[in-house]
Amino acid sequence: MDREPHRSTFCGRTRREFLWQLGAGFGALPLVDLFARDGVPPRRGGPTPHGDPMAPRPPHFAPKANAVIFLFMYGGPSQVDTFDYKPKLFALDGKTIDVDTKGRGGQKRQGRVVGPKWRFHQSGACGKHVSELFPHLATCVDRIAFVHSMYADSPLHGSAMLMMNSGRIQSGAPCLGSWATYGLGTLNQNLPGFVVMLDQTGGPISGAKNWSSGYMPAVYQGTVLRAQGEPILDLARPAAMTEPEQRLLLDALQQQNAAHLATRSSDSDLQARIHSYELAWRMQAHAPEAVDIGSESERTRALYGIDDARTADFGRKCLLARRLVERGVRFVQIYSGGNHNDNNWDAHGDLVFNHTLHAGRTDRPIAGLLTDLEQRGLLDSTIVVWGGEFGRQPTAEYEQGTGRDHDAAGFTMWLAGGGIPGGISVGATDELGNRAVERPFHVRNLHATILHRLGLDPNALSFFHAGLQQRLVGVAGAEPIRELV
Amino acid sequence: MRLPLLCALSLVVTATAQDAASWWAWRPLLRPPVPDVGADAFVSNDVDRFVLAQLRERGLRPAAPASRTALIRRLSYDLTGLGPSPADVAAFAADDRPTAYAELVERLLASPQYGVHQARHWLDLARFAETNSFERDGRKPAAWRYRDWVVDAFNRDLPWADFLVQQLAGDELPDADVATVTATGFLRLGLWDDEPTDALQAVYDDLDSIADTTARAMLGISMGCARCHDHKKDPISTRDYYAFLAFFENLRPYRPLGGNGGALSPENYTRTLPVAGALGQQEAATAAWRAERGALAARAAAAADAGYRQLSPRARVALLADAERGLVARYSADRSDAQQLRDDVAHRDGAIEGQVVPVDGRVGTALRFDGDDRVVLPLLVRDSFTIAFWVRSHSHGRGDSNDPRWYFGDGLVDGEVHGEVADFGIAWLGDGCIAAGTGAPDTFVASPPGHADGQWHHVAFTRDAASGRIALYVDGALAGAATGSTAPLDAPPRLVVGDLQPGDHGFTGDLDELCFFDRALAPAEVVASALQLRGGVAAAAACGDGGSALTAFAALPEPVVATATVLCARETGARPAPSFVRIRGDVHQQGEAVVPAFPAVFGAGPPRIEPQAFGQSSGRRTALARWITAADNALCWRVAANRIWQHHFGRGLCRTPNDFGRLGEQPTHSALLDWLACELVARGGSSKAMHRLIVMSGAYRMACAEDAAALAQDPQNDAFWRFDRRRLSAEELRDSMLAAAGTLDLRIGGPSVYPPLPKAVLATSSRPDEAWGTSSPQDAARRSLFVHQKRSLQEPLLAAFDLADPDSSCPVRFATVQPTQALMLLNGEFAQATAAALARRLEREADGARAQLERGLWLTTCRPPLPAEVDRLLALHAELCAAHGRSPADALQRCCLVLLNQNEFVYLD
Repeated sequence: MDREPHRSTFCGRTRREFLWQLGAGFGALPLVDLFARDGVPPRRGGPTPHGDPMAPRPPHFAPKANAVIFLFMYGGPSQVDTFDYKPKLFALDGKTIDVDTKGRGGQKRQGRVVGPKWRFHQSGACGKHVSELFPHLATCVDRIAFVHSMYADSPLHGSAMLMMNSGRIQSGAPCLGSWATYGLGTLNQNLPGFVVMLDQTGGPISGAKNWSSGYMPAVYQGTVLRAQGEPILDLARPAAMTEPEQRLLLDALQQQNAAHLATRSSDSDLQARIHSYELAWRMQAHAPEAVDIGSESERTRALYGIDDARTADFGRKCLLARRLVERGVRFVQIYSGGNHNDNNWDAHGDLVFNHTLHAGRTDRPIAGLLTDLEQRGLLDSTIVVWGGEFGRQPTAEYEQGTGRDHDAAGFTMWLAGGGIPGGISVGATDELGNRAVERPFHVRNLHATILHRLGLDPNALSFFHAGLQQRLVGVAGAEPIRELV
Repeated sequence: MRLPLLCALSLVVTATAQDAASWWAWRPLLRPPVPDVGADAFVSNDVDRFVLAQLRERGLRPAAPASRTALIRRLSYDLTGLGPSPADVAAFAADDRPTAYAELVERLLASPQYGVHQARHWLDLARFAETNSFERDGRKPAAWRYRDWVVDAFNRDLPWADFLVQQLAGDELPDADVATVTATGFLRLGLWDDEPTDALQAVYDDLDSIADTTARAMLGISMGCARCHDHKKDPISTRDYYAFLAFFENLRPYRPLGGNGGALSPENYTRTLPVAGALGQQEAATAAWRAERGALAARAAAAADAGYRQLSPRARVALLADAERGLVARYSADRSDAQQLRDDVAHRDGAIEGQVVPVDGRVGTALRFDGDDRVVLPLLVRDSFTIAFWVRSHSHGRGDSNDPRWYFGDGLVDGEVHGEVADFGIAWLGDGCIAAGTGAPDTFVASPPGHADGQWHHVAFTRDAASGRIALYVDGALAGAATGSTAPLDAPPRLVVGDLQPGDHGFTGDLDELCFFDRALAPAEVVASALQLRGGVAAAAACGDGGSALTAFAALPEPVVATATVLCARETGARPAPSFVRIRGDVHQQGEAVVPAFPAVFGAGPPRIEPQAFGQSSGRRTALARWITAADNALCWRVAANRIWQHHFGRGLCRTPNDFGRLGEQPTHSALLDWLACELVARGGSSKAMHRLIVMSGAYRMACAEDAAALAQDPQNDAFWRFDRRRLSAEELRDSMLAAAGTLDLRIGGPSVYPPLPKAVLATSSRPDEAWGTSSPQDAARRSLFVHQKRSLQEPLLAAFDLADPDSSCPVRFATVQPTQALMLLNGEFAQATAAALARRLEREADGARAQLERGLWLTTCRPPLPAEVDRLLALHAELCAAHGRSPADALQRCCLVLLNQNEFVYLD
């Protein structure tokens, strides 16, 4: 063919380009979306092959990182039992005190303190206090930036999960991983750009809403990747079909498609679809290799705890995350915890049982991941994020027992890699660990920080939908956490 | 505070009513003159005169007409969402009568499949889904009835004004019936937070969604951002927004305004109505039935009472003993405290978990469960048994009333054990259906739905161990019987009341007089229990016509008033509370008071609001609907005409069909759009008349031509110099695959179906076992419109091919091309099964590989196959047999997979 196929649409929608041009023309305008309105591809990168919405795109400015591994501790880990050391809380154990809390059980003005159930020890050059739940992670604190003053809009799982993933407490908006792949495309077309690995006990509540692309095209939604068996839905050829046979079928199909295209040569969608079968073919070859950890050394497997039944599952997922990032996957999310009740971090009943279980399954794998990424020189370009949709209250939920209710007013998340300074702690909760009081950061600030590290301006990355320039960080916008950038 | 998202960049536009009036979409609708283009072979009707005039202005020529095979395929898909059969194509191609095309148009417009396809477009706009999103993603009761109403409305060509009026205010109409009330399901399709962090905010989020969806879908106005601040580009102020919201503010909220408990309030958004005739007409029949039943019951009761009084004290004791023979435990709920439910017979007391509060009961007090309480009883039954109780609820329950598996519902009395074991249980299901069953093998009985009426109902579940017969009685009448296992029941050591054993299936409602017998009561005994006959059956039979009254009571047929529970609008009364501006969108900050009003820019004057005659509704929505659909409301008709055009040409004359404001695009053919809008009004709002007009045009019948010069000059095809090719929608694709295989089931309507989902997809749900239902293979092959639409779990093939996201109004679908789609169509279970079915069909319908492949090409391309492509496939077939050792049948199946993956199958010229 002698002319560039004309590309007039983006994912089938045709848009006038004037807004984009305006954006490009008036540098002072605060908003420049990548695909003006709901979509014309950017001028800046020139036409992408077949208008491919997953083609790599330049960031807004030089990035510090090009990939994210988000370790989602679903259910909400307790900050005061993990990384937010509150020495005064131990002595208050069992005492009923005045404290304002809001959780599943509603608003309360008083509560019985449950003292932290684990001792804390100082670790690393930075002397960070880490609870005994995380003996392995304690060795990594000099690489980690802790944010102790996180807060979120909802203390209830469903809406809080959506907020942590998509910035809103209602469904329908794209997730952080969708925004990252929308903004930057993917570096490896043979693998999905946004991958989600679920807990062995099942998905989180609201299921696929947690990795939905919402109002963006489905191409930006998370692909569920299984750590064992067929990694991606429909990736494996049916048992009765051999590889040469499938190639034969594809060749016949492409001949048929080529004959069809011959009289329709200006149609880039038809060409794109022909191309998509070759991409699918390559994905069938590459994805199984990406998830095959057989080539990893015993030492590496041990680093991730794959040699121990307790940590094998999460360890395998962490190792896969490294392999995926190595191969250009933009955004990997791993869930620790699924299903309901004590199958995740939602410790309403027996805190010690619950957190021992989940920390025990994840501590060594996560430490292994950080170590391995660093050893391979990948940590500088990969942001690792740890945390849940909220934290837990310093007081007990019920009359008896150690269970804690949800706490969205103050909780801890940590980040490592991607040029984020290690060995620091930002913000603080009150002396009970209940509420963020010093430099409080909303979930949007966390999102802004991650986008910023990826070279995207969180207040400029937008997508036109329903008459509005939608942004991950919402109407008010949000600044990255200064200490982390 | 929940802020709706970022408003578009603010340029230096200060909108005033004056310049609003100069904006194309807001101007009055005046019929433009039809351009005089003289005689031209292209012109079939006036549509073409508008198109040709602009083409000429730009120095372009219309493309040649499409081939007859391309045309019939295009038309069939556009009108019905399905391709033509080879026979239809061949007949049309051979029919050179001048009327052949017009006849084809009429035939397709008359097909009931027309409504199925057109409904899809509207359901995208209405953000139709059958669940609520948020963490439980609970089911909306009978949302499918609204979907069926939309299908039916298109099939009977309901005038557009009525179509909109009924959806906004069908309950307020003087001649309201179940259909018009069902239409108001439109107002109940949003995202519902059953556990909101801010209850008032959640209710206003729903109202916002209703108002915004109405404004977009019916008027092409985007006003959502005016919730927080005046619209930056259109003349819509915050005051306008809240005045518009006020039309809906008297709707009963989907959940209580206070607290953050898990319960919704189905009595606020459902009604159970007779399915035939105007409302009220059928009430007499039901009242008569109730009266007769009551009279028979009274006679039986009087007889029993008289019979009882005639007896000696000794005989009375014997009689009571007989009536209570086998009574193991009775929980009258009259003597219980907060922790203990007392047994009146022995001391098998139950433990109350949660807060089961006493309320006025059927007799004495009853237990009230609010969805997260339960009572734990000792195991009281094992072999034969009867469990009887009174139940009262407004709740619609979990689970599907069409699926009698009790263990998906809200537990009433549950002895479930996970796995294939001889357990049992009784539960309250969706739409107020009561279901019960025993396990190993699973055997179920269920009542009809409709008991969520807040009235007391008597329920008895019996099992006879010797025969395995189980029976469920509701209000003394046999609701269902079946024969299951005769094995001893292997129930858990404790029974759970008001929940299922594993928890999280709490019942919302009241229970009273819970009795356990160690034998299956006879039907007459159940009636006696339901009627609370003193002395039981024997006493009644002993006196006068007591026995015959009992028999007549048991046999009295329910009146043939079939009722349906519908999802619908309900208001809080005729006099709404005052409405306010909410400052910066914060629902807790009331600003100035507002009354319902149309956006000021329209200059429409105050609405005429007349409360509904019988005092249940404010009449506000009727006033809004009348204004929206008035013949002089230019926006309504422009928006409607544009959508009809959009679904023939792949894009609207205005390319932003939900936004005719300044953030939208200007139409490429504004005169044509106005002319079509005028035609739509003049033709009585008939969609079918408009389809007829448009598809008879030369513009619609053009080929998807290649023309490098024209492409260079008008790359977006703004001027319609050719017809734009399009990809099949997700539903069209799935339906076409099934149609090619000959397995598509064209039945229309009814509860949604559940095509099997890959395990891997189910595993993404937090409760994989309950995430999806099951359907028979035939039901699973229904058209995609009838596939259950669940917000948190979409059918993967449909989702991959860009099903609309149902969380907000979707005016234009995406049409992506991705490798995962290829994987699904090559390797997916559905694609494999469909290819196998297609192969079997070809074997049935043709002999030999060549004929079979020819037929396969016909079925997938809707045109006669070319010799070269038959040869190509035949070569593939031969190589599969020769080089890969496949049998001819296997080889054919693989060829069928190729057929279903062809670009030509997936794209429409």
